[in-house]
Amino acid sequence: MNRRDFIAAATSTILPLTVNGLNLKTFTRDSPIVRSLMSTAAANEDKILVIIYLNGGNDGLNTVIPLDSYSQYYKLRTNIAIPENQILKLNGYPETGFHPVMTGMRDMFNEGKLGIIHSVSYPNPNFSHYRSSDIWMTGVDSNQFADTGWAGRYLDNRYPGFPTSYPNQTMKDPLALQIGSVSTTTLLGPQQPMNVTIQDPESFYKLVGQMEQLPSTDLPCCEAGRRIDFIRRQQILSVGYSAEIKAAADAGQNLATYPAAISGNTLAEQLKIIARLIHGGLQSKIYFAELRGFDTHALQVTSTNTAEGEHARLLRLLSEAITAFQSDLKLQGTENKVIGLTFSDFGRRVDSNASYGTDHGSSSPMFVFGTGLKRQMVGTNPNLTTDLDPMFINSRETNVNLKMQVDFRRIYSDILRDWFGTPGTTTNSLMFKNFQTTSLFSDVVFSTASGVWQDRSIWSSGRMPGPKDYVIINAGHVVSVNQNLVVRNIQVEAAGELLFTGNFTVTTSG
Amino acid sequence: MAYLDTYSTLLTDKTAAHLLRRATFGPTRSEVSAFVGLSAADAVNRLIENCSAVATPPPPRDLDNTSSTYGQPFLSLPYNKTKVEIYGRYVNYWWIGLMALQNNKPSLLEKLSAFWQNHFVVSSSVVLDYRMMYRYLQLIRTKALGSFRTLAVEMTTDPGMLIFQNGNENVKGRPNENYARELQELFVVGEKDFYGNKNYAEDDVRAAARALTGWQVINHRAANSLTFGSAFTPDRHDESNKVFSSYYGNKVITGRSGPEAGPAELLDLINMLLSHKESPKYICRELYRWFVNSDVTQDIEDNVIVPLATFFASAENNFEIEPVLRRLLSSNIFFAEINRGAIIKSPAEWTIGLLRFFQQPVPDMNTEYEAFKNYGRYVFEELNSLQYIILDQPSVFGYPPYYLTGYSDNWINGATLGTRNLISNKLIYPYVAIKAGYVIGIDFVGWISSLQPNFSDVAGTAAITCEQIYDEFVKYLFATDLNQTQKDFLIDNAMMKGLTRQNWVREWNNYRTTPSKPEYRAVVLYRGQQLMRQMLRMAEYQMC
Repeated sequence: MNRRDFIAAATSTILPLTVNGLNLKTFTRDSPIVRSLMSTAAANEDKILVIIYLNGGNDGLNTVIPLDSYSQYYKLRTNIAIPENQILKLNGYPETGFHPVMTGMRDMFNEGKLGIIHSVSYPNPNFSHYRSSDIWMTGVDSNQFADTGWAGRYLDNRYPGFPTSYPNQTMKDPLALQIGSVSTTTLLGPQQPMNVTIQDPESFYKLVGQMEQLPSTDLPCCEAGRRIDFIRRQQILSVGYSAEIKAAADAGQNLATYPAAISGNTLAEQLKIIARLIHGGLQSKIYFAELRGFDTHALQVTSTNTAEGEHARLLRLLSEAITAFQSDLKLQGTENKVIGLTFSDFGRRVDSNASYGTDHGSSSPMFVFGTGLKRQMVGTNPNLTTDLDPMFINSRETNVNLKMQVDFRRIYSDILRDWFGTPGTTTNSLMFKNFQTTSLFSDVVFSTASGVWQDRSIWSSGRMPGPKDYVIINAGHVVSVNQNLVVRNIQVEAAGELLFTGNFTVTTSG
Repeated sequence: MAYLDTYSTLLTDKTAAHLLRRATFGPTRSEVSAFVGLSAADAVNRLIENCSAVATPPPPRDLDNTSSTYGQPFLSLPYNKTKVEIYGRYVNYWWIGLMALQNNKPSLLEKLSAFWQNHFVVSSSVVLDYRMMYRYLQLIRTKALGSFRTLAVEMTTDPGMLIFQNGNENVKGRPNENYARELQELFVVGEKDFYGNKNYAEDDVRAAARALTGWQVINHRAANSLTFGSAFTPDRHDESNKVFSSYYGNKVITGRSGPEAGPAELLDLINMLLSHKESPKYICRELYRWFVNSDVTQDIEDNVIVPLATFFASAENNFEIEPVLRRLLSSNIFFAEINRGAIIKSPAEWTIGLLRFFQQPVPDMNTEYEAFKNYGRYVFEELNSLQYIILDQPSVFGYPPYYLTGYSDNWINGATLGTRNLISNKLIYPYVAIKAGYVIGIDFVGWISSLQPNFSDVAGTAAITCEQIYDEFVKYLFATDLNQTQKDFLIDNAMMKGLTRQNWVREWNNYRTTPSKPEYRAVVLYRGQQLMRQMLRMAEYQMC
């Protein structure tokens, strides 16, 4: 059941409760749980998404480090393991830590503005950079192919008919903007890219602003004609948008301090432009930026200090760039309308190689940032015994991967549905199927199957509900309780069941 | 008409230019003229024979005029770690000089080398050793037309490749499978067949990595070293048998020991990969996409790729590259109308193509160090601004427009369209100086004057018309024909800015009468600039 369907159900029927020995409230339209659900589902006209591509396949296990499995972690990747005493601790989540250079992102996490989705991947992962990044950008199953990007499909649905008759009065600005040079598949629509790609607003305006246009004429046949048509459309759109982009750049300001240009933080440079355009009122819905170099097969740490090296350099760039960007949004007063996410080609192996590096692997964490998050952790730390694939055997030559906890398309679906306010059925068709929510933008955790309360796999959020969560036991699910529970509140749907195996208490707060 | 049969029509303006656009980085006007009237087979033969003229160019020189070794070939000097960047640049300039060379012997070599360089990618920003980049480039240039088997074997132990794909760190017990994966996915077999079926299993990557354990690079970035290379270290080699999946017929590469183990298992491995039925198809498909059209349809797969691959892998051909290219480039399908202008020019085709078309000569590297450096730097920086960094692709996949959905469409967006305009402007409004007396740019007044018979006989010889100038400017310039609407727009709006065409005759005759008068010259220059500027900005000019 998705959120909208739930709201309909919750407000139109009186829900019988099946709770062993406990008197729980029923919910009406005025109850906090229902209000909480409804408040996030409003039409989100001005919401913005910033996508950051970590090109090359980020080593998740040296980014977000499972402190609760540290000895296994150290054993599996001794030559690159971050020393335990240098790992940054997170408030409220003592089991999880960050790479020592990520102080800015640690602070963002502690302020509630950064979320971690653990062990994100897709079924039957592919270890080719090209194919796997293509899967992440198009959002297909690993045995299927698509010619459009997931975000491109969304924009095509929201702005039908693009690029014909764009820009226009209601949408004067580019639908999406990429800072860079070669357009990403993520934003590819059915006809052509849904985005404009620029290096920076000033030079873009100077270069294309005054371009003269030839009258459209008949096209030559075949591939040449198709490509000429494509270029002409790109020319027209570029000219059409250049003045709007320049106006936004002129009106906007960066109010936070970014890493100095001399430090070579290319991601910070891109995000700085994006923040300025957002502040200047550009109406683009999606921005795309990229940081390269994550394919760390060798020397991702130095041979003398595992907390330094190429991977540390990259994570420092990432952390400093995102932190400066978020501060900028806060100072601008645009913080509440922007959310960001990172993705990469894939994760890397759990076990390191002999060259102080890691080979291509499967799952790794995604970051989501912004004040719009309702949840800072989806899934749990990978358990470095039971979450290994294959389960660890004590051989030096095993190629060990992390099991997937969260399909990346669940995050994309949550963003389309809960952040951009796309109807559930539309979201499903844009993502080619119905992906279970991760409750990323919601206080409400749903059961997704029967099982014991502590089992992460039966919850939409991929982890046991906590004191801040409204919990809904869905119809047909029996959840066994063998401990005292502390939650915001619980609702049990018709034909759902909370099965207490002993005399336990439920503490609720709202 | 079978697609791979030899195109039997003698080359015309259009087909000669098409062949030269695809086989080189863009023709000069005289090269096109010289190819008109040849048979396709003769023309391709010439492109191949001309390779020998540039097969062994003198090595790059130190072009830093503050250096004590200024003007000397620097690759034989002790390795200088402090010059990684600058000498790396000079290797790039050296190759750019060959790509842009105008010796009236157009050859296939540089365009084909660029194909192999984008196929067996090694990126200089990872290797960080200018000698290794040069040796790698030389391996490509000397083997580009030879045996693919030899190329694949030698590439595997090339020092630059061993560094780039971590073969150097591939050791028994902890194999580094980076190269083994790319060898199958990108270099020889291809990840999938035409229908999307996988060509090999993950375990084949691991098995191949083990077969390749033990290779190491000697003197990578070693200060003052005079030699460098690669070597096989038996101690680091995994001596167990390597078992492959059913994709390779469950082949077992016998584990060996001793100094010959590495070369022997490498040869076994390459032979096994080449015997995969998809390998020759994969290579032929890549060549087709590079030289003909990125759109490989079922029809093309069945009637071009499969028969060409059969020939490529046949016992008589034994994976020789040159005969395959001869067939492809002289075939009916290559010259078919549907394939003309079917590719958007890469930054290199666009930038170097402009310089060659407008005959901006490459200074002699062996005598004009400064001028050569200026020319190389100019091209290098223009290519950088279009995100085409010579010898430094962003990943092992090569430049993204050679593999992303939409292929060469990906060269075009707001940023790059603007940058292309900026680059063509430099030819229209010259200011980039190469040396005394040589500024990059088009001499419009000289060009137009050369079209005028009896220049000074204003009364007795009619002025050349706007249409004649248009016809001259447009000659060989576009891969597709412009239509009458476009022609009229270019003459009436771009060139004459709304004035009548008769007005041109007056302006031109004024100049013929008094060429010394600056304002008469200026208006002629302006008309030429405006016309060509608009032509070079057209979508049609982006087509290769």
